[in-house]
Amino acid sequence: MNRKSMRTLLVLSAIAMAMIVSPAVVSYPTGIQGVKDSGCNCHGATTSSEVVPSITGLPDQYNYSESYEIVVSFVGGPASPTNSNQGGFNLWVSDGELSPSDATVQSYNPNEVSHTEAGNDQTSWTLIWTSPSSDRNVEFILHTNSVNGNADGANGGSSGDMWNKLTAKVSPPVLVLEEADPFVVLSTLIVVSAILLAFTLAYVFYRTNPESFTWDYFAPWIADWLTTTDHKKVGTLYFVAGLFFLGVGGIMAMMIRIQLAVPGNDFLTQDQYNQFFTLHGTTMIFLAAMPLINGFANWMVPLQIGAPDLALPRLNAMSFWLQPVGALLIFTGVFSGSGADTGWTGYAPYVVSETAHMGTTMWVAGQIMLVASSTLTGINFLTTIAVMRAPGMGWLQMPLFTWSILIANLMLFLSIPAFGIGLIQVYLDRVIGTAFYDVSAGGDPLLWSHLFWYFGHPEVYVVIVPAFGVISEVIATSARRSIFGYRSMVYAMAGIGIVSFIVYGHHMFTSGMSPTLRFVTMLTTMLVAVPTGIKIFNWLKTMHGGSLVYRTHTLWTLGFLVTFTLGGISGMFFPSIAMDLHLHESYFVVAHFHYVLVGGTVFGFYAAIYYWFPKMSGRMLDEKLGVLHFLVGFISYNALFWPMHRLGVWGMARRHHTYFVTTEEAMGALPIEAAGWNMFISVSAFIFFFSNFIMVANMIKTLIRGEKAPPDPWGGWSFEWMTESPPPTPSFDPHNLPVLTDANEHIANEPGTLSKLFNRLMVSEEDTEEVTH
Amino acid sequence: MNFIGLMVLTLIEVVAVGFHLPDERIFIFSNYTLMILTVVAIPKFIMIALIFMHLYGEEDSGILTVTALFPSFFIIIMILFIGLTHPEATTGLPAWCRPGTY
Amino acid sequence: MSVHDDHHPSAWGPHDWSHGAPHNSWSPFIMSVGIGIFLFSVAGVYRWGEMIDAGSIALVFAGLAIIMFGLAVFWRQDMSFDGAYEPKATGTPFRGIDIRKVSVWIFLMSEMMVFTSLFSTYMRYRFGIESCESVFESGQWVEGTSVTCFEPAGHLIASSWFHIAPGAINTFALIVSSFTVVQALRYAKKVDLDHKVRTKLVTRYLGATTVLAILFLTLKMIEWFIGFPLPEFLAEYNHGDTTIKSLYAEGYLINADSYQHHYYDTAYLADHGHGISHDTELYAMMESGTHSGGQMMANIRVSASTFYVTTGTHGVHVLGGIIGLMYMTFKASRGGYTPENAVSIEYFGLYWHFVDLIWVIVFPFFYLY
Repeated sequence: MNRKSMRTLLVLSAIAMAMIVSPAVVSYPTGIQGVKDSGCNCHGATTSSEVVPSITGLPDQYNYSESYEIVVSFVGGPASPTNSNQGGFNLWVSDGELSPSDATVQSYNPNEVSHTEAGNDQTSWTLIWTSPSSDRNVEFILHTNSVNGNADGANGGSSGDMWNKLTAKVSPPVLVLEEADPFVVLSTLIVVSAILLAFTLAYVFYRTNPESFTWDYFAPWIADWLTTTDHKKVGTLYFVAGLFFLGVGGIMAMMIRIQLAVPGNDFLTQDQYNQFFTLHGTTMIFLAAMPLINGFANWMVPLQIGAPDLALPRLNAMSFWLQPVGALLIFTGVFSGSGADTGWTGYAPYVVSETAHMGTTMWVAGQIMLVASSTLTGINFLTTIAVMRAPGMGWLQMPLFTWSILIANLMLFLSIPAFGIGLIQVYLDRVIGTAFYDVSAGGDPLLWSHLFWYFGHPEVYVVIVPAFGVISEVIATSARRSIFGYRSMVYAMAGIGIVSFIVYGHHMFTSGMSPTLRFVTMLTTMLVAVPTGIKIFNWLKTMHGGSLVYRTHTLWTLGFLVTFTLGGISGMFFPSIAMDLHLHESYFVVAHFHYVLVGGTVFGFYAAIYYWFPKMSGRMLDEKLGVLHFLVGFISYNALFWPMHRLGVWGMARRHHTYFVTTEEAMGALPIEAAGWNMFISVSAFIFFFSNFIMVANMIKTLIRGEKAPPDPWGGWSFEWMTESPPPTPSFDPHNLPVLTDANEHIANEPGTLSKLFNRLMVSEEDTEEVTH
Repeated sequence: MNFIGLMVLTLIEVVAVGFHLPDERIFIFSNYTLMILTVVAIPKFIMIALIFMHLYGEEDSGILTVTALFPSFFIIIMILFIGLTHPEATTGLPAWCRPGTY
Repeated sequence: MSVHDDHHPSAWGPHDWSHGAPHNSWSPFIMSVGIGIFLFSVAGVYRWGEMIDAGSIALVFAGLAIIMFGLAVFWRQDMSFDGAYEPKATGTPFRGIDIRKVSVWIFLMSEMMVFTSLFSTYMRYRFGIESCESVFESGQWVEGTSVTCFEPAGHLIASSWFHIAPGAINTFALIVSSFTVVQALRYAKKVDLDHKVRTKLVTRYLGATTVLAILFLTLKMIEWFIGFPLPEFLAEYNHGDTTIKSLYAEGYLINADSYQHHYYDTAYLADHGHGISHDTELYAMMESGTHSGGQMMANIRVSASTFYVTTGTHGVHVLGGIIGLMYMTFKASRGGYTPENAVSIEYFGLYWHFVDLIWVIVFPFFYLY
């Protein structure tokens, strides 16, 4: 056997061993329950006033860190000493610690105690409460269950039980205010951010020209920004909006993490939590990721293809302005306290039910505007790239970033009408009362899932493919060689573009959809990893054949390669339907998509920002601050999202406002370590959030007094590096466009069979002047 | 001319419906009316596209026709995946494939 | 506000097109704000199909007015467009073709996906929910209780020549309007024509297209909401009835959860001699006495929703075309179309033919089947 096949055999056996040795997955069949909110509803559906619970031994006002012996008991109901079991209880306290004093009581966590098997046959229990060491408004919630002793009866003996609830309050030595209302906190933070943004913009305006800081100059300046159709200015508008909403989405994430830092937390109620994760998702995808992509696309695509501007400039401005107005509609819910609580996926029939909050209608309306914006963007970019390339630049001579924008826009504007129609259907259902998703009238909730995910899956590729383009550009420039395998990169992206439309069923494996479609999409999803893998290998080979210069953008690109690959691999557990049934709606999913969305898309943006900021602003960013940003950000990011894989495997569910841990495995909650990991994640989240301000500070500092940038600071060779920094308006003289003469880095040699086929359809080269209509 | 041909075809459609044809399956169609409507709609579609929208006989027809036909793949996928997968549709599947039997 | 000089033309219009497309325009910002106000206020007027606040209707119209104002700014910049600047594609395979033509075709691609989504919804429900006719004939209903079933609008519309008439006339209207647009383009492009004659002809043909499009929407409203009376001598072909009822009057509504129609009324069928087909379950059940007959009540909200929203979306596209046509007719009447900029009419024509294409699919499968 030769060396090559020996090596292959060794690798394959190593993989096989790893698969055998890797830990098994355990999922908890009973899920997680929260008695504090929902009551003893395994024992019965509602409370019963025949049972009277009581707590004795509580002081009116506690002293700091003092232990009180309290007795929990109840009277009434069917319990009687002749029954085999008499009753049970669950006591939750908001602050301080509860601990058992005998074997009849067990502790789930410091805030919650319940009865044990041994303590199942009594009507009163004694335990100890240790008061907190600070001033808190303490609340006790007690549930007691009166058992009728039919141990062999229906429901395992719990039918016929009666239970009731009691709340009690204890004041602190020094009176304190009510706890903060999360919506007030969020609205305040958003308003503060907006004010900070306005001040920053005003400051930048002042510093660019201190003499003209008067109203006479301000009005035309702001009017110019409100009415501009120049692709560079529109790109800047997209940036500012995108970064602002990235921050707002981050604030929401912080509040979610505060809530999840400890088990059984009550910072956000269940209802508020639902609104927060809905808005976090919608904001991050539609108001942060998409505008940031459009910002780069607007800025760089015309420069890279040598066009003076986009094909339809006023439509481009329209695309932008639909976004902030749409955002206003979406956020009306935040400021009213009754925002959409459907999840960013807005599943039917909840989304058209009367129990969903009223803000859902505005959430839908805002997204309709965003759909219009994306459609116009798609038309504009496809037209521009198809028709306005400089002479000499054929399809296979375009830079890879432009290719990525082309493929992304193709996917976007072909898939988004499905979402738009679904949204219109939901809007009409909620407003004029059509019955698209009304189950009692025959409406099919799966229709929404299909329409949403027909768009939703291409959408997530829309946000990652431009990042791929950026990475290609940055790696090539940083490695000081052309990208390896240009043509295969193009075909890989095109392949991703087409296959992305036939995989969307993998989001719906648990929905009860058509079994045939389930099977088909399982196979196609496994297939779509192949082109992505090709791209990763090409990037690695580019670095291998070149010599890397380590700038900040290079660091972020290397970070991307690590985190996106990890995210992609964790994603490969989901195509298998059997695995998906266990992992669906767990934190494993959350870990996966944050690895590809943040570790992929956002890291790609950071690389793009550090790479193209000199071109866009004419000034060089501070490298030291950039490296600091990378180090703090990359480490805290991994600390933040990596443990979520483990939490998901343990069974922590996503979109649940809290979770519970227990020492007793049989109760079905998470192990005790999960609480520690959640706290670790929350702390890392704060560090990651604040690390991004390093970049913002860098940008502001640079704009004010950064070093001036040359046209080509990194040694790139696509057209954008041939212009001034920042480029003039129009970006290229329409009567004197650059001609691509020497692009051997991008040239794909002789046209292949596909190219020859396209050639047959081309307008004949000689007749470019005489084409009449 | 084109629009006279289109008017004639429309007339055929309306008349076909007026005749109240029998309600039996024919080829892949669930009844005769549907078959006539589909068979007539296809040439109407083609005539408008090719002649009115200049997709035939002009210098730039070739590439514009390819552009116009490009979404066909995505349209077919949407119709197959969304239009024809209503839960009741599984009653048409063979028994070994239906949930509950495996 | 803006500096008025040759280098910085006003963002409100008119625009000097020799330098290229406008660098600034108030239109996008104003139109976005208008659309936001419109969507916000519509949700303020209606909720779950009921009107909750008639006062917000003013805000709805304010939103629409702002949108129109934004459009007016857009057109004010366009009026002076005389074809001096019509950019042509430089990149293969579109080289030499007008950029705006390519962009219209790409726009049409996305519109194809819009209507495919609507058709997919219709197909899913039509093939998935049992039709009212088969439910009626199976006898699986009880008088007084509503059953959920799919009642295609075609059942009502294709029931008589008179009901089909508005739809058929609409089809002819659209086809003729496609033809008039083609004629307008032809005369606008004709080089050897006196400009006054050209202006007159182009205005006439564009005006005719506008009139036909308005006729289309009017007939659609009649068919949906108003109905129309029949002259006496035709009444005998309509069971003696002198009116053709609109869909609204027949009860075909999006909130119709207890829809009743004489098609599904055993007493009516018996009276009018139609009878129930002998090989249906219902007939067998009535003969054996297990079914008392009566009038079937149906929940047809899904069928009505898909019908009105799909044909309504098409109607909205026709309305959009009318708004564009009004501008173009106005511009034509001012002599704005010459062979240099006649291609603008062609781009509109492409959109208009597409609308006609969608009608070619909507009409047979929603109105006749």
